Amino acid sequence: MATEQSVDLVDDETVGLFTKAVLLAALTAGLAQLSIPIGPVVFSLQPFGMFFAGLLLGPLWGGVALLLYLLVGIAGAPVFSNGTAGIGYVIAGKTGGFLVGFLVGAVVAGAIAHRGIAPKPVADLSVPVQVVALTAAVAVVYAIGIPWMAVVTGLPFARAAALMAPYIPLDLLKLGIAIAIVQGGYLAGR
Amino acid sequence: MLSYRPGSTVAHRLDPRSKLLFQFGFAIAAVAHPTLPWLVGTTAFALCALAAARLSPLAVLRSYRIVLAVLALAPFVAGVAPGPPWFRVDPALRSALHVGRILPVLLVSAAYLTSTPVRDTRAAVQRLIPGKPGQILGIGMALVVRLFPLVLADVREVRDAIHARGGEARPLRDRVRLLAVRSLERTLDRSDRLSVALRARCFAWNPTLPPLAFDRRDYPVLAVGIALAVSPLVSV
Repeated sequence: MATEQSVDLVDDETVGLFTKAVLLAALTAGLAQLSIPIGPVVFSLQPFGMFFAGLLLGPLWGGVALLLYLLVGIAGAPVFSNGTAGIGYVIAGKTGGFLVGFLVGAVVAGAIAHRGIAPKPVADLSVPVQVVALTAAVAVVYAIGIPWMAVVTGLPFARAAALMAPYIPLDLLKLGIAIAIVQGGYLAGR
Repeated sequence: MLSYRPGSTVAHRLDPRSKLLFQFGFAIAAVAHPTLPWLVGTTAFALCALAAARLSPLAVLRSYRIVLAVLALAPFVAGVAPGPPWFRVDPALRSALHVGRILPVLLVSAAYLTSTPVRDTRAAVQRLIPGKPGQILGIGMALVVRLFPLVLADVREVRDAIHARGGEARPLRDRVRLLAVRSLERTLDRSDRLSVALRARCFAWNPTLPPLAFDRRDYPVLAVGIALAVSPLVSV
């Protein structure tokens, strides 16, 4: 008996956005394994994944990129910092809120930067728009991460916030570097 | 590092969907009540899950040692006071109970990781989320797992190249910018090549999925998962 099944091809534009989301998820995972110690704090490169996912892909595909990152970690790939994995690390881990915050942050950054689902060329985004988008993303990460950390560790909110305060200037520095990369024309045509 | 190990234990034979739901329900139940009896109960439950996967609790603790070491600091931070008596026991104990809740969740998570291949979780996600979103996430997961080692190698190569050129002496801002730019360029080049490869292979919305079998033994696990997830609603 002959069987017929039509092939429903994915359109070229969606394939391009999808592969960028996949590779930015992999890049976020790769950057999570590197950090630069600065005195008592660690300079993590992970937020760049969120910044570039939001700026390059917009809210939908930027969110897909970070969701893929979380899902492969939950599935067991050692993609979280220090090569950890598992749903336990996300739900009950001290930094699980920051991981979820990266996902929401990418969506917020993309929504502010592109003001719609379809991403514009990154060169068309003005500096003030990029600053507002990435600052909002950082604010969202801390707004989710600090209360989450307080609940998981039983620390008072103020103490959890004080523990994370040294990282805020570093994240603002990362934000500036991300915008400098866009303004430097390194992502022209993307 | 914890990763999948082939085997034929009870945990290996369960469907990934029931195991995922069980983990989710267990995590909700474990964090619902920061009390000592509840902690003892959830830890005993988690040890049963480890036994079902024939996994040593010590091996799990070793794998999560960095996470646990960081968590262990929380009670000390909570107990430190800015004036006499300098350290208060009550907040430290409260924090220790909160942190203790995490251990059983990590144990159950470890049982899942070692008994479930990533491709099964991918298939479970693709089947649990209907339509195109499920397709995108399922295929995306498979590709991220495949490409992560390559992208990580790229990033490390860029970092080593910067070091080899005396980059450590440069200001932090310059080092980070160089690392981010070069890593991103390589990543986006890979994305372009992957895009062409997928289109050349007729990337479609309706590919063939790996088979999953939701068996009779999965129903009790599913039921326990749901019961655990709603357990915080029941007063103890």
